[in-house]
Amino acid sequence: MAERADDRLVRLLGIVAYLDGAGPVPVEELAQRFGVTPARIREDIDALWVSGTPGYMPDDLIDFDAFSLENGMVTLTQSRGLTRPLRLGTREAVALVAALRAMRSTPAVQAAPGRADVVDSALAKLTAATGEAASAVDVRLGGDEDAAALGALTRALSAGRRVRLRYVDAADVVSVRDVDPWRLLTQDRATYLVAWCHRAGGRRTFRVDRMLSVQVLDVAVGRVPPERVDVDPVVQVVSDAGESAPVAVLRLASPARWVAEEVPVEQVTDLADGSFEVRLRVTNPAWLRRLVLTNAPDVLGVWPPQVAAEVVEAASAALSAYGEA
Amino acid sequence: MSAGSESGPATRPDERLLNLVIALVNTSAAMTKQQVRANVHGYGAAASTDAFERMFERDKDTLRALGVPIVTVEGSGHSDEVGYRIDNEAYALGPVDLTPAELGVVALAAQLWSDKLLRTDMSRAMTKLAAAGAGDAAEDVVAGLTPRVRAAGDAYGPLLEAISERRVVTFRYRAASTGQVRARRVEPWRIAARGGGWYVVGHDLDRDAVRVFRLSRIDGRVRVGPHPDAYRIPADVDVDAALGARVGAERTARLAAAPERATALRARAVSAPEPDAGPPVPAGRDLVVVPFRTLTPLADEIAGHGAAVVVLEPADLRSEVLRRLRAAAALPRTTEEDPDGRTR
Repeated sequence: MAERADDRLVRLLGIVAYLDGAGPVPVEELAQRFGVTPARIREDIDALWVSGTPGYMPDDLIDFDAFSLENGMVTLTQSRGLTRPLRLGTREAVALVAALRAMRSTPAVQAAPGRADVVDSALAKLTAATGEAASAVDVRLGGDEDAAALGALTRALSAGRRVRLRYVDAADVVSVRDVDPWRLLTQDRATYLVAWCHRAGGRRTFRVDRMLSVQVLDVAVGRVPPERVDVDPVVQVVSDAGESAPVAVLRLASPARWVAEEVPVEQVTDLADGSFEVRLRVTNPAWLRRLVLTNAPDVLGVWPPQVAAEVVEAASAALSAYGEA
Repeated sequence: MSAGSESGPATRPDERLLNLVIALVNTSAAMTKQQVRANVHGYGAAASTDAFERMFERDKDTLRALGVPIVTVEGSGHSDEVGYRIDNEAYALGPVDLTPAELGVVALAAQLWSDKLLRTDMSRAMTKLAAAGAGDAAEDVVAGLTPRVRAAGDAYGPLLEAISERRVVTFRYRAASTGQVRARRVEPWRIAARGGGWYVVGHDLDRDAVRVFRLSRIDGRVRVGPHPDAYRIPADVDVDAALGARVGAERTARLAAAPERATALRARAVSAPEPDAGPPVPAGRDLVVVPFRTLTPLADEIAGHGAAVVVLEPADLRSEVLRRLRAAAALPRTTEEDPDGRTR
């Protein structure tokens, strides 16, 4: 996909401002700094080389040392006044400051005072540089996780230690597992631990608010995470248990639209009356029953039928516990 | 060579914008539109005066959105025409001087957004910090952490623009209770994300009251009004107060749990201040007192436990759980055939 003009402009201006202060810089280092390929940097330099003030005579143009570029070094010799880095636009400042404030609110940061201090000082410096417009967006993350569990997990993560979890799963079954922690993911209202589970012999995702206790063991982690841990907790909750899973279809009323947005569904079909159907693969029947039960006011239909029957049975038993027949 | 007589392929928009910035940074006083058209590389290619005007207006908007401070200068000397220049004082990013650990935090924060628009804004901010000479990031302080926020959707862009410029917005909104869609006129104050949902808090002009709207229930486009500075945003917008019942002060729920069940709830339990107060605990069940702030997730969790947990108090939690259970007990009967007509 072609790069947006405004994204490239910001980098072109940034390259000149950076080089003006930094002196000669290798192409590779510049590429790394701006997060693009060395080939892209060379295209950028070609574009800068023919840009300048009206007239566009040789003395009017941004200039680089051609000889040093042949040797892979970028040496700016004329900046045409673009010596200072451009300030942040309102939207950029909002995205940056709101992200830091959101991080500040995550239980994993709250649980570690050293971390919170670093986020605070970064926020203070950036807010000073961006101004107050940045308060337009206000994001809080995480729920009511136990600070002791989070503290233990963050300690284990920094020290590379195995942990022993007492964990209760969605089906209300308690287990004790030794796991090698990989990442602590805060998404929306919950925090998840992505880890290698030695009991299951595979990667598993655990909700922190379902951990009954966390014990940091005096054992170094054995399994290190792959280069990039792809973390989507909902995907994990649904698919951790296996590859080939049975299909279920839910027909939902419009207010349950979030299911289509937030659960990894295979297919969404919008129906004429504003309701819609989602088709999903479910390895964990307890998870599906819970999804249907908790969203029942907006559920118009469930396939396969035995799932609906199980939910009806569970709900009827619950209602009689409330004294309703 | 005059820019007006150039031939060959049209200049790329990013390179035209770059030349406009360089021209307006270096101009001694200001440049009029005519001077831009005649002299700045890339504008001579405009086919007509109208085409040039549109191109120039769009470019000015683009640059201002990126933070480039373009100022207008009223006609001076022999010309009555408005001129343009870049305010060199306002142009530069102030010194930021982040430590490696702070940069590590910022780099992690850059991965927070799932939203395309927010990701774009964020990556431009990171490019500018890189240009300002930020050093290497040290990530050990935040090792192993991944914060993530779900996408806000299409309403985010126009709402942020409206808040930044204090413009009234109109949109169609689906009420949660009735499912009815009604047009709303709102002075937006804050965009907020809490517990997986995105909201806008503002002053509802038709109801003359503070209201919260969930972005996912906005039906269609958000239209931004024509007048900037149409209202003032109160200095102390309390998003959590506005969200009211959704995210509130800490309360406690009194639950009656079957023995050995609802272990996750039991793990969060606190000791009951007055064990004998309130409704009695049914025989054969344990009293479990759980603190909570948000009603919906707790109601979901408790309903998910079915008969294993009964809510004694508070009444609003009890009725939310009962609402789910009654609907679940009355689920429509389905046949073996799935909606696509395939039988399994």
